[in-house]
Amino acid sequence: MTSTNRFLNRLLVLVAGLALLAVGGAIAVGVLLPDARDAVSGVASDAPSAVSSTLSSAPWIPWAAAVACLLLIVLLLWFALRQGHGRTGTLLRVDASPGRGTPTGGSVTVDAKVAEQVLTDALSRVPAIVALDVTAFRVRRQNVLRVTAHTRRGASPVAVRSEIDRAVAHWDAVLGRETPVVIQIVAGLRTRVAKAARVA
Amino acid sequence: MTTPALYRRLVRRETHSSRAGAAIAVAVVLMLLLAWVGTELVLSALGQPALLVAPTDAVNALAGAVAAPAGIVVAIGAVVAVIGLVLVVVALTPARRDRRRSGLDRTAAVVDDRVIATSLARTAAYAGDVDPEQVHVTVARRRASVVVTPSSGRRTDLAAIRSAVDAEVADYDFTPALRANVRLTENGTVGA
Repeated sequence: MTSTNRFLNRLLVLVAGLALLAVGGAIAVGVLLPDARDAVSGVASDAPSAVSSTLSSAPWIPWAAAVACLLLIVLLLWFALRQGHGRTGTLLRVDASPGRGTPTGGSVTVDAKVAEQVLTDALSRVPAIVALDVTAFRVRRQNVLRVTAHTRRGASPVAVRSEIDRAVAHWDAVLGRETPVVIQIVAGLRTRVAKAARVA
Repeated sequence: MTTPALYRRLVRRETHSSRAGAAIAVAVVLMLLLAWVGTELVLSALGQPALLVAPTDAVNALAGAVAAPAGIVVAIGAVVAVIGLVLVVVALTPARRDRRRSGLDRTAAVVDDRVIATSLARTAAYAGDVDPEQVHVTVARRRASVVVTPSSGRRTDLAAIRSAVDAEVADYDFTPALRANVRLTENGTVGA
C-alpha cells in the first residue's frame, strides 16, 4: 500500500547482482583460461604506470571522483529513505462548493482516526478478531483505508471478512460516501498470544 | 469511485514483497563503499596518509593479483559471482508472500495462509472430535494438507472430517484456489 517504487528496488538489486556476477565470473574464468590470463596480465602490468601518469597530468580526477561518490551517496540515501512512505492522516476532504452534498462556506476534513475508531468500535464485540489496525494511504490520488484484522486462532477467514464488510457498510452510512477499503486478515504475534476460538 | 483496477493493484502489492530489504541492504553496502573510496581519494589528493589503502596502492595490488595463486583468485571470483547470482534471482523472482486474495466486492481482501491453516485445523478437530493439537495443517500454494492424529483407542471418522473440511474449502473464494487433502496418521496419540 505504500508508495515504494518496487521497480526501482528490483532494478538496483538487479544491477548490483549483474555487476558482481560479471566481475566475479571474469576473475574466475580469466584466471582459469591461459589466453585470457595473458591478456589480463599484460593490461595489469601496464595499469599502474598508466594510472600514475594520468593522475600527474590531471590532478583534478581524484576530486571529481570524490564528488561523484558524494553525489551517488546522496542519491542512494534518498532512495533508502523514501521506502515505506504514503501514509496519510486525512481520509477525506470536501471543499466548499454550491452543489448538493458539499458544505457551504468552508471545507470538511475527516481524519483517518475517525474511521479507525468507528470500525474498531463496531468490531470490538466480534470474538474472532483480537485486534484491528486501520491506516489510511494515499494511492493514485485517492485515499485508501487499510484494515488489518488480527484473528483469533481457528477463526474462519470468510466469517471475519463478512463481519468487517458489515462494519464497513456501517461506516459508509456514517461517512456518506465510499472510500476504497483493503482488508488484511492476518495471524500475527497477537494471534499467538490470544486464546483460541472456542465456538464455531 | 472505487475502481477494480485500483483494488487489483493494491491486492497485488499486499500479496507480493516490495524487495525493500534487499534494495536497502545493497544501497547501504554501496554507500559505505563509496564513502570509503571518496575519503581515500580526498586524503591522497591532499597528500595525507590513507585510512586503509591509498588508491595507487590499491591499483598496484589489483594488478598484482593476477600473479597470485590461481586457486585463491578463482575462489574469490566464484564467491563474488555467487553473491551476484543470488541478487539477480532476488531481483527477478516474483517474491510472493504467503497470502491470497479474496473476491472483490465493496472491499478488497487479502488473507494470510496461517489464518486459513488454523481455521481448517479447527474445522477438522471439531468434525473428528479430537483436540486441535492433534491436527496438523500445511497450506501450500494450491493444496492444503490436513493430517489428523487420532486418539489411541478411539475410532476417528475420516469421512466426517473430510466432508467438513471440503465444505469449508468450498466456502472460500480465494485466488489461488485451494484443494484440501485429509489423511489420518498410522499411529494414534495417547492421553488425548
